[in-house]
Amino acid sequence: PTDAPDAAQARARSAPAPVTDVAKLCVCDLLVAQCDVNCCCDPDCSADDFSLFTTCSVPVVTGDSQLCSQKAAVYSLDVEANPPERIFKLIDQVNPSIFCIHATNYKQALYLKSPEIPTPENFDQLLDKFGGASFSAEPDSWNLDTDAQNPPDANETYRYEYGVPVQTEDAFLRLPSPVVSSWCSDANPAGFLVNQATKCIRSVSVEKCDSIQALSMLFYINSSILAVTDIKSVFQVNITVQSIVVQSLNGMRTLLNSSDVLRLPMVLDELCINAVLGVNYHITHTDTGEIIEAAAAFVLGAISKEALSIEQSFEISFTQENTQPVPLSGNPGYVVGLPVRAGFRPQGYPFPAGFVFASSNKHNQLTILQSTSTQDCLEAQGTRAPVLFGYNMISGCKLRITAAMKCQPLAQTLLDVLKGQSFPEYVASFGNSQAQDVLDWVPITQLHISEQMISNTLQSSCQIPVSLGIEVKWTKYGSLANPQARIVNVTATTTTTTLKQLPSGRERIIPITSSVVFTDISSPAEPGYKAWPTINIKLPFDFFYPFV
Amino acid sequence: LSSLPLQMLLYINGVYYIFYFLATLAMIMYKSQVFSYPDDFLAPDLAVLFLMAVLEVPRLYLGFKGNLTEAEAPLGLSLGLTVGSMVLCVYLLLWQTYVLWADVLLNAVLLSAYGLESGLKVTAIAAFVS
Repeated sequence: PTDAPDAAQARARSAPAPVTDVAKLCVCDLLVAQCDVNCCCDPDCSADDFSLFTTCSVPVVTGDSQLCSQKAAVYSLDVEANPPERIFKLIDQVNPSIFCIHATNYKQALYLKSPEIPTPENFDQLLDKFGGASFSAEPDSWNLDTDAQNPPDANETYRYEYGVPVQTEDAFLRLPSPVVSSWCSDANPAGFLVNQATKCIRSVSVEKCDSIQALSMLFYINSSILAVTDIKSVFQVNITVQSIVVQSLNGMRTLLNSSDVLRLPMVLDELCINAVLGVNYHITHTDTGEIIEAAAAFVLGAISKEALSIEQSFEISFTQENTQPVPLSGNPGYVVGLPVRAGFRPQGYPFPAGFVFASSNKHNQLTILQSTSTQDCLEAQGTRAPVLFGYNMISGCKLRITAAMKCQPLAQTLLDVLKGQSFPEYVASFGNSQAQDVLDWVPITQLHISEQMISNTLQSSCQIPVSLGIEVKWTKYGSLANPQARIVNVTATTTTTTLKQLPSGRERIIPITSSVVFTDISSPAEPGYKAWPTINIKLPFDFFYPFV
Repeated sequence: LSSLPLQMLLYINGVYYIFYFLATLAMIMYKSQVFSYPDDFLAPDLAVLFLMAVLEVPRLYLGFKGNLTEAEAPLGLSLGLTVGSMVLCVYLLLWQTYVLWADVLLNAVLLSAYGLESGLKVTAIAAFVS
């Protein structure tokens, strides 16, 4: 039995009190303030509604039938009368068994247990008990076992693993990247050991330049990275500023001497300066998955008034401590699109116990002439494009020959232009060839072809190189299901032509070309059997039993 | 002279009590399986039952001895123990966690036997003293 004011108070603290009066209980009363069909106990039904019913879906409502004597509400329809009416009787039901319950002194015996109402105090304990996929009736004894097992596992599970988002003290290390469209989304976490480079567009306006968080250096370095994935860990790594490069409006970049000062965006002369255009994170980690250092290199630039959006580029790279990162071009076979690695064998080392050193290109790559905007060969200084495996390339420049040019220096200059400052002697046969394994390196074969002009004689005139063609022959190596690319032969063919003396005042333009071609010389795969299958026919040992 | 009705009643009481103890114990085990019977409700009920069994043995022995030797001291002691047993019996009748109809019958019979016994003991003591 419940009292109205008590019930309201009780409801605030706990679940509503159960209704125990059988006359008021009605399980088929589902619609509120409406009459349910064939529900004889529904208080919302009038006598007219009862006359339309055919049967009573709930004929009797009783309490627990194990009690010796209990009240029961019996509902029935009297179909004889006209119109049919509902009969409600409250009777005493008697349980004849000798083991019927005469009385109980235990309140919750015959009722379902009311669940605990979660409050801020007991929420954690309830979550522990009932938050899992299953819960046992004896939570305490189970807790003891799991606690004993946890400490040995704790250290192993808290290390970073490949792909696990790098955690900072409040969330994750963000690497803004384009999601769906090209606009920057700040919700992309950086994965451990996942080297990423992303470019995305951010909408900006010069007026709100200092209030846009993503343009300020602080946004990228203010939270410190957790050394291990344990949130409660005290080991945190601050992100230091490694270098700041300032980019002017016309694209020229200068490296600042001091990178200690934090440069925040501000409005100056209708320009927004010190806006972040690029961030390059370098994370150093141990071989057990702990982060020990984090550095960020910034590119700051200026935004003009008309610009509505800028492109930001972000990069993150992971290096193991005490190691120098060597970018591999495949493991083991070359991956299409990665640069071909090349190097030298220093003089004096006996073959084959030699070491192949890197070329002057700091990335140890085979390079090819890169055309400039003016296409003048004599101006092509410095930048060369790396040869990417599998990509046939051709590039060139135009050489303006005047009468005053001397042949020999010109030939030497052109050779430098075509081959670069130090053309390598060896090319790595596999993408992961180590410098110590000389047998994994393929020597570059140099060929010279001279184009003959019909009318001139050979030796006396001067030959200048006009084209360099590098042919890389590669084959498929390894298993049929996962073939690896392996470079077998590299041939660099220099074609020279004679330089005709020009009459003074005239000038000629000769095209100089440089090309790289990749040829697949893999032989078609042959399936191999370990041994030819044999037909094994033998009579059983005791075939001729009675006679042998 | 020793009281014959008291002697008979004590004897019947002894036999009946063995049956009563086994039946009540069996019913408590049945209740604990069928109904929800938490440990902190089960313990007092079992404790009362075993205490009553422990009290019954000296109670009956003293009763027999006192009646046959016509001595009032053991009989008086037995009367005191009977009062204690009656209290425990009332507990099992009214304040058990689950009181089944069979429980009511058994305890009512035992209580009435105790009551009759007490009356007869008082009479016997009165007879022996005078």
